Amino acid sequence: MAVVVGSPRMRKLETALIYVALTVLVMVFLFPVLWVLGLSLKTRLQVFASPPLYLWWPTIENYVDVLTRSDFPRAFINTLIVSTSAVLLSLCVGAPAAYAFARFPFKGRSFLFFALLVMRMLPPIAVLVPMYVIFSKLGLATTRLSVVLAYTTFSLPLVVWIMRGYFEDLPVELEESAWIDGATRFTAFTHIILPMARPGFVAASILCLQLAWNDFMFAAVLTNNDTQTLPVMMASFNAGDSGMDWGGLTASGMLVTLPVVIFSFFAQGHLVAGLSSGAVKG
Amino acid sequence: MGVRMGGSDGSTVQPAEAAGGARKRWRALRQALSRYGDRFFVPSAVLPTFVLMACVFGVPLLFSLYLSFTIGGPDGALFSGRFAGLANYDDLLHNAVFKSAIFITLGYTAASVAAQMLFGLAIALLLNVDLPGMRIFRTALIIPMMITPIVGALCWKLLLDPSHGVINQWLGTQTVWLGTPSTALIAVWVVGVWQNTTYVTLILLAGLRSLPSEPLEAASIDGANRLQSFWYVILPMLRPYLLVALLLRTIFEFRAFDNIYAMTGGGPANSTMVLSMYTYLMSFVQFDFNMGAAAAWIMLLISLILCTFFIVVVRRRETL
Repeated sequence: MAVVVGSPRMRKLETALIYVALTVLVMVFLFPVLWVLGLSLKTRLQVFASPPLYLWWPTIENYVDVLTRSDFPRAFINTLIVSTSAVLLSLCVGAPAAYAFARFPFKGRSFLFFALLVMRMLPPIAVLVPMYVIFSKLGLATTRLSVVLAYTTFSLPLVVWIMRGYFEDLPVELEESAWIDGATRFTAFTHIILPMARPGFVAASILCLQLAWNDFMFAAVLTNNDTQTLPVMMASFNAGDSGMDWGGLTASGMLVTLPVVIFSFFAQGHLVAGLSSGAVKG
Repeated sequence: MGVRMGGSDGSTVQPAEAAGGARKRWRALRQALSRYGDRFFVPSAVLPTFVLMACVFGVPLLFSLYLSFTIGGPDGALFSGRFAGLANYDDLLHNAVFKSAIFITLGYTAASVAAQMLFGLAIALLLNVDLPGMRIFRTALIIPMMITPIVGALCWKLLLDPSHGVINQWLGTQTVWLGTPSTALIAVWVVGVWQNTTYVTLILLAGLRSLPSEPLEAASIDGANRLQSFWYVILPMLRPYLLVALLLRTIFEFRAFDNIYAMTGGGPANSTMVLSMYTYLMSFVQFDFNMGAAAAWIMLLISLILCTFFIVVVRRRETL
């Protein structure tokens, strides 16, 4: 970490400058969200006041309105079901593969591994078009299952990449002594490795959950009114511009965002490895 | 009851011995099984992942390749299209909107990545200073990246609203930011930069933290000033991280969709029509899956080139 150096006076000035710069940055970065948070706590009249109101008695009527309407709770439950299923599926399928990638040399290992990375990086719309055609022929097109399967296209590679890093960091001696004591590869994996890789599971599931929760494109195509997720519902507020429901839009936007923001604070330490697909360890 | 177990020529065995024999047998069997299982551990660990990926990724991609070479079809059976050779690709590459979408995508990607790298590096350098409270700043700056992209873009849409948006109220104007071709592209670019600058910051911050301190100390002993040691010491050491961030941002900006969908939907007058948006509209608004698939494959090929670059860079660093 860099340290502020120089004479005491220069040091003070520089420290002050850094704090000012960062404060301005934070204000700019957070302004849109905070302004919309403010809008969500205004009545309809206050939202459209010109010049804008800066001080007002906050109201929660927009939130009450959104939460009591049937489509928000339903979309919330849909999002929850779809994203947790995708994450669980990816963890169950991906963790053993990640372990094999981390520990055992096998033919085609590096090729398969990079194939996974490429899949994570290709534009999702390229899979979405044929997926929609195939799913609608199979009668799956507007089911939650179709969205779960679509989400595994990005969450499974991510799980393998992140978990592999965690497995690699565990000492090999642990399994080796278990193998010598007669444990099979499988029991050594389930009884010794998995419990120790818990932080990896937490990191991988938080990052995947965030991606699945935030996804719009797959869900927009693969759901209908009954199965739609929160981001899709959000976009539908946007559809009729003339009568855009500002109260509903702002309040539900804040409600959609809140869980991911809280969640990601816990995941901060793991964020880098997840973002860089493991190319940079956090 | 005598248990006949591995005893020699039919003689009865005492129960205790029998149990021991059975246990030995059982252990041998289990060992044999586990050796057998161990041999298949790697394939059985890796296979499910690749079967699943082949189903959700491989098969759709191959099918979309088929779609892109045919005309008509998905109304009837899956494979009912007529083979048309490269006709769809030919149409696309002669289509003015598609051609301009390629240029807009490349320009949007370049401008977004450049701004994100520049701001990302600046913020990373600020956050790397060892002062109290840095964690709070970092946490606050992560928020735009974390919130649901569609929600973030809609927030901006409200700020930019022609009649009730706070930006027009402050400026005292009635500008239709998202309805004017020249400002719409800038607006979606600002939102893209706002959302993903921290992505670069986090990667570079991890890089800065991992740099050895000796070269910097040596530079300052040799009398290098701040700017010199940044330019000649920090920047070269940070190069691999800069490259990873640059390539990843390029790959992800190339497929930008959510902010554009929420703010402009590709308009006005196709001024924000990027390739993702074009493919989406072609497939799910015009329901021409053949053209959609062809457009998607063109995107795919461009992304593959970018990915190859990324992999070459990552492999050379031997972080894998």
